[in-house]
Amino acid sequence: MDVLGQDRREGLGRKANSRFVLILLMIASVLLLLSSLYSAQASVFKKAREGAIDAASPVLALFSGPVSYVNGIIGSVGDYFNVLEQNKALREENAELRQWMDEALELRKITAAYEHLQTYEAPPEAQPVDAYIIGESNDAFARSMIVNAGRKRNIENGQAVVDDRGLLGRIVDTGSNASRVLLLTDIQSRIPVYVEGADVEGILVGNTRAKPLISFTASNDDVEVIPGQRVLTSGAGGTLPRALPVGIIDSQSRDGIAVRLYANHTRARMVRVINYEFPGIDDAGAADKALAPDEGNEQTAQVEG
Amino acid sequence: MGYRAENLLRLLKAATPTILGLIGVILLATPVRLAEGWLPTPIIPLLVVFFWSIYSPDYMPSVSVFIIGLLQDLLTGGPLGLWALVYLTTQYVVMSQRSYFLGREQRVVWLGFTMAAISASILLWLVMNLMSGAILPVRALIVQMIATVLIYPLFGMAFRQLHRRVLVEA
Repeated sequence: MDVLGQDRREGLGRKANSRFVLILLMIASVLLLLSSLYSAQASVFKKAREGAIDAASPVLALFSGPVSYVNGIIGSVGDYFNVLEQNKALREENAELRQWMDEALELRKITAAYEHLQTYEAPPEAQPVDAYIIGESNDAFARSMIVNAGRKRNIENGQAVVDDRGLLGRIVDTGSNASRVLLLTDIQSRIPVYVEGADVEGILVGNTRAKPLISFTASNDDVEVIPGQRVLTSGAGGTLPRALPVGIIDSQSRDGIAVRLYANHTRARMVRVINYEFPGIDDAGAADKALAPDEGNEQTAQVEG
Repeated sequence: MGYRAENLLRLLKAATPTILGLIGVILLATPVRLAEGWLPTPIIPLLVVFFWSIYSPDYMPSVSVFIIGLLQDLLTGGPLGLWALVYLTTQYVVMSQRSYFLGREQRVVWLGFTMAAISASILLWLVMNLMSGAILPVRALIVQMIATVLIYPLFGMAFRQLHRRVLVEA
């Protein structure tokens, strides 16, 4: 059996690796870690992250193309074998959805009648931006994605990202052509939510597990929820629009209420970034908008009118 | 071959391990999703850093290790310096045990890599606990490290051939 490294002749002929440099760089890493602990939002780090996403986005797009092609083929082979089951499930789902559609049409008619009656002002429409997932952190602790839309397509930090089923996460870093989505399962993720029908408002906290927990609720008392109830974004704090579907209640334990998410980030290929502007209902909101000179005037006019 | 072309080739050879490490980082940031995300992506940069730190540290200077780690931090969105620290620590430990590993059978080296992966995981977990202020679940990390350890023989063999036939010879 041949083994390597028995002769010292290898390499470039000079000692490129000194222990001194190694230790120096280790110290540098520790310092970086400590400083990012205390100033995670520092502009230098933020710039570095955004620059890295931007620079890497063409390479990532190049890599993710063939990968998703192969995944597609594997997926279609899998689909081929359970096509009958899927067909049956889809027929059932379709029948159910038809009923829902009838009900929705009925409700739409009623809402239209009410809107006609009241002095009603429609909330601003969300401006969704479609984007492909080109990157995903395959890391044990960091749960994020990189999508191929950035500042050039009006993406901003804090905007909600949904797949076809529900909320995936929100934008945290925005480059000019790509941005990072922090998934709901990341340990840094904190999303204000409410439980439909249970009168519970709380914060959905990611913990790297598949089911994040509602850890903090608005009331001090123990809250009662029933598994299966829907969890939606509450819109508190004014970053995410209200009532985006998040998931359903899975179970309740001492740590909090586990939520089974609707969105499946291992299946999503394409996502939608929701560029939502809150209606200016208070002075603080109007003042925020006034910072942007173009939209500010419109906004105040709306508030006064 | 001209003098300049020869130099360029030599530079390219010297940079190959670093480039492999960077490709490993890109793979970690690609939506590979083996079996719908049930199979984790192995941490190829750890293999690269380990292999060349043992067999030819001149091909894997600490600066390269630092850059590989930093790029991984930037792309995965974790705290900056985390993976740089993990890879550099791995290199430090491996290089201090280098004389033991040199000339040993591959099984022994594999065992050594397992040890390196375990210590890297512990370091990673401890730092992330400190950073997040909570005790984090370890399952995902363990699964990913097992995947990384399991593919070591395959990559070790490929790297050995690459190193011997392409980088050092000729």
